[in-house]
Amino acid sequence: MKTRILGFVALAAVLAAAGFGLFVVPADLNQGDAQRIMYPHVASAWLAYLSFGVTALAGIGWLWRRDLRFDAVAVSSAEIGVMFTAFAIWGGMMWARPVWGTFWQWEDPRLTTTALLLALYVGYLLLRRLSDDPARRATRAAIVGLVAAVDIPIVHFSVIWWRGLHQGPTFLDPNKILHPAAPLPFVLALVGMVLAFTLTWSWLMIRRYQLARLQAGHEEAARYGRVVRARAKARGHETTMTSPIDSGDATEAAR
Amino acid sequence: MKDVAFVIAAYGVIIGGLGLYALALVRRLAAARRQSRPELRSDPADQGDGGRA
Amino acid sequence: MSDVRREITIAWAIARKDLLAELRGRHTAVSTLTFAALVLLLFGFALGPDAHRLADAAPGLLWLALVFAGLLAVARFHQIETEDGALEQLALYPVDRRAIYAGKALVGAIAMVILGILVIPAVALMYAVNIGPAWAVLVLTVVLGAIGFAAAGTFYAGVTVRMRAREVMLPLLVLPIIAPLLLAAVKATTAALTGDPFGELPAWLQLLAAFDVVMVIAGAGTYGYLLEDG
Repeated sequence: MKTRILGFVALAAVLAAAGFGLFVVPADLNQGDAQRIMYPHVASAWLAYLSFGVTALAGIGWLWRRDLRFDAVAVSSAEIGVMFTAFAIWGGMMWARPVWGTFWQWEDPRLTTTALLLALYVGYLLLRRLSDDPARRATRAAIVGLVAAVDIPIVHFSVIWWRGLHQGPTFLDPNKILHPAAPLPFVLALVGMVLAFTLTWSWLMIRRYQLARLQAGHEEAARYGRVVRARAKARGHETTMTSPIDSGDATEAAR
Repeated sequence: MKDVAFVIAAYGVIIGGLGLYALALVRRLAAARRQSRPELRSDPADQGDGGRA
Repeated sequence: MSDVRREITIAWAIARKDLLAELRGRHTAVSTLTFAALVLLLFGFALGPDAHRLADAAPGLLWLALVFAGLLAVARFHQIETEDGALEQLALYPVDRRAIYAGKALVGAIAMVILGILVIPAVALMYAVNIGPAWAVLVLTVVLGAIGFAAAGTFYAGVTVRMRAREVMLPLLVLPIIAPLLLAAVKATTAALTGDPFGELPAWLQLLAAFDVVMVIAGAGTYGYLLEDG
């Protein structure tokens, strides 16, 4: 039960990092207490993008190997990723309001790119939900995930150009804590939160993957059960006239 | 609204949301495991679709 | 015949088939054009009657109308294949999938260029925009935008053509992807119409071109998996 230990370690890490960020780290000189929001916000964003990359890579794995375990990784990563993306956007908005005065800023490339990332994720998950056949679903999801992953850098750069090619107001830079000259407690708080969230992500991925594999097994069993029933029905009607309903059932199962 | 309120809103939703998702995931997993056990033999009477990933 | 020549021939054959079918029936052309005009009209109601506001918004409204109408067009070019089971037959030909994709995307691009060329004067008229010498750059922008949109739209039309709720899934998948295209095309159009005071036009056109290249490669590279599985 190493996973269980991982889970408890992750939980402890998150609580410790949150406590550190909320109560121990001093407030920023310019941004005040709002600076604290950066820690979970940046950590969530990092995991949102990591999850997206994993989904795209897992899709490649499926296309290459036709092993449904890759697809299980892909769906797990997508579901967890959409959650972290929503958190990143929420955190960004909560930070923006006290610091910039508005909840939303179109010219901030990270906020708008992450919003688009959310739309891409949701589309991906809906696409999966509307597909029945496991192989077809996996293939569709894989190629959609790939094209979406390729699009993200383009979106990011176009929004940066959007802002930079004409005069825009100067904003307080959220990247301040990533600057090498940043004060140590800030860096520690950020690194700690990122580590804690990554541990949590790992635990969530393992559990979600297990769930996906179980669901795939159920799906397979249900499809097999339908085939067995259809065959039994067909055999039972060998000596009598087959009704259109039954022959329809058998052809559907034989597909 | 004071800054503190936004900080609480941010942490609350993010960490609370993580916790809720984790709990829900554990329950979904338990339900899926329970469903797996009677399927050790392929039961034609099993009507369930089994859920989808 | 070398491989590449063969692919191009096949792609062109597919495009020609669709174009000829369209010339005979004109269903898609009329309905998409009407839809674009309607969208422009409704934008007028939504954002008017202040002429200045409409004129300022004109580049954005132009491209939104093209994007929405374009969605209908690329969806339609894939639907006509499924109505006869033609898509399955197409998949059986020993042909490189990229050629099929290229043919479909070519039709989509041509349709969008024609649509764009017809919509620009409509926008100039309805939103009191003076096009003047910028028309050449505008046509270039439309061509670049059409290629990118057709590349992405054709790809997703292929993905969704046999899905449930495909009328909703296609826009849902395409619109986020073409966000950079929309951004760049509107910026380029605005720059062209205002005489490009900041000299940013080349940058936006380059972004459009880069988007086109990426989408064509991604679409052509993955389309084959669709015909095998889906």
